[in-house]
Amino acid sequence: MKLFTKYTRVNLLATIIIFLLSVVAFYFVIRFIVIDQVDSDLRIEEREIETYVKEHNALPEPIPVKDQKISYSPSGDHSHKKRFTTIAIKGERDSFRILQFGITVNEKNYVATVAKSLEGTDDLANSILLISLATILLIMGASLIINRVLLKRLWQPFYNSLDVLRNFRVDKKQSLDFPSTQIDEFTFMNQTIQKTTNQAQQEYSLLKEFTENASHEMQTPLAIIRSKLDLLIQDENLSEGQSKTMQSAYSAIEKLSRLNQSLLLLAKIENNQFAETTNINLKQKLEEKLDAFHELWQNQNISVSSSLGDANVSLNNELTDILLNNLLSNATRHNFSNGSIKIVLKEKTLEISNSSKEKELNSKQMFLRFFSQDKKSRYNGLGLSIIKQICDVSGFTIRYLFTGNEHRFVLSW
Amino acid sequence: MKVLVIEDEKELSDSICSYLANEQFVCERTFDFDSSMEKILLYDYACIVLDVNLPGGSGLDILKELKNQNKTDGVLIISARNSLDDKVFALKTGADDYLTKPFHLAELAARVNAIIRRKSFEGKNEISCNELKLDLAEKNVKVHDGPVDLTKKEYELLLYFISNKNRVISKNAIAEHLWGDSMDVADNYDFIYTHIKNLRKKLIQAGAADYIKSIYGMGYKFNV
Repeated sequence: MKLFTKYTRVNLLATIIIFLLSVVAFYFVIRFIVIDQVDSDLRIEEREIETYVKEHNALPEPIPVKDQKISYSPSGDHSHKKRFTTIAIKGERDSFRILQFGITVNEKNYVATVAKSLEGTDDLANSILLISLATILLIMGASLIINRVLLKRLWQPFYNSLDVLRNFRVDKKQSLDFPSTQIDEFTFMNQTIQKTTNQAQQEYSLLKEFTENASHEMQTPLAIIRSKLDLLIQDENLSEGQSKTMQSAYSAIEKLSRLNQSLLLLAKIENNQFAETTNINLKQKLEEKLDAFHELWQNQNISVSSSLGDANVSLNNELTDILLNNLLSNATRHNFSNGSIKIVLKEKTLEISNSSKEKELNSKQMFLRFFSQDKKSRYNGLGLSIIKQICDVSGFTIRYLFTGNEHRFVLSW
Repeated sequence: MKVLVIEDEKELSDSICSYLANEQFVCERTFDFDSSMEKILLYDYACIVLDVNLPGGSGLDILKELKNQNKTDGVLIISARNSLDDKVFALKTGADDYLTKPFHLAELAARVNAIIRRKSFEGKNEISCNELKLDLAEKNVKVHDGPVDLTKKEYELLLYFISNKNRVISKNAIAEHLWGDSMDVADNYDFIYTHIKNLRKKLIQAGAADYIKSIYGMGYKFNV
């Protein structure tokens, strides 16, 4: 629910309740005042009758007046109590206010009844009700329009800022440019966001630089260690145990250099160092790769079926090689002897699927760096990150599917 | 034959020289731009191993100067930068080969050997090693003048071994040589073993001596 929808709802409800209450109160107050007025009129009438009785010692002849009726009835009671009542008389549209009082004429007791129409009062009440309802409707309408127009305009800077923020990428250098606003709160908000995002970008680029520098600085020591190992194994007097130790050292160095190369590659992709694209015939590229991998697959008895259609994409040549190598390497090393690999290239998609003994990958985490399903895995967990990163910078989408013990990667462009 | 190693990292330069320094090569070393420039202008080398990042200047400028002087020294660039653009640029400028750090010394030796062969034999591309004869242009092998049918990988393997005679080559170096570092499956050593087994069998069957020795499962040595 939108903020001002919520606000309008509460606001309208409160307004209506208050109005209704005030209408009711108003009605009763007016009615009370009017009846009070009528009552005093009735009292005047009573005094007039009493005066008439005193002077003439007879009941006055009732004069029919439109809104007033006077009648007498004999009563056994000597002193009838004075009583005000409001009643509705049959055949009359309006209700009447009635005053009954006892009167004695020639030692005979009568009850005099003076009735006055309350027509004006009812009309007044009706008018009040009508006016109030009209006012409520008017206020509702007005507040709706005001909310629509005014609030929308008031909140516009907020939505503008959101739009700007939506385009924010921590890995992009450009700083956020918020449209200026005259509302202090929004200005404050924009300033805060700007400061925070700038800081985030700064920290991110520092971190990235650090990774990059660290990887670069590691190259030379790695090269030295490797060359020293190459020299060490030339020693004729190495024992079997020493040789095994050397082999472990070799493997570790190998892993480290590969890791380092992957990190450097990721940094380079992020730095847009592969921005140059050419038109690439994917079918031809894939055929080359299939040729290169052929021996490997044969060796592991992996059956490969491929259906390659024509597909031309605009891509960086080097990245294409890396992408295909990684995809095919993945499909190979997570496979098993007598397993299978399927490659389907269509005009807009490339699907590479492989059989595997491994269970379904966690699709939320699989593209994260250093993620590997099996913690003891001998791979560094950067392969899929690199694939994802290449897809991202090339405008490809990559989907992972797991069906019937088959891991499937579908690229579309 | 003289080889000049231009590499500012002394430890790495040491390793390269001790590996290359056998009966075939005499190694000279320089560590910075100016002294390297002086050396290349004064002397001729069969091959120059050239680092790109040097104190005082870029190795690529040394390469350009060599080409300006119409010198025919073979040049192998070694660089920490592993990008296609750098490679293409270096090769276009006139380098004979490009190797990315970190590398195996066996790989470096193989490349240096290849460059020197290309430069010195000029067309007659043949190496012989006792009863073995490799025709580099045709990519075939003869034992006692009889042909041996080798696969592409087996031929590459044999050439690699001959370029690193009497040296222990680690399995990792062999894997990287055969498969390159782009295919991230090279740590699967089973199929290296298969290739070596097949190569050895074919050579012995053709009447060659058993040159390839396994060294404790760590690597192999081509004993001549």
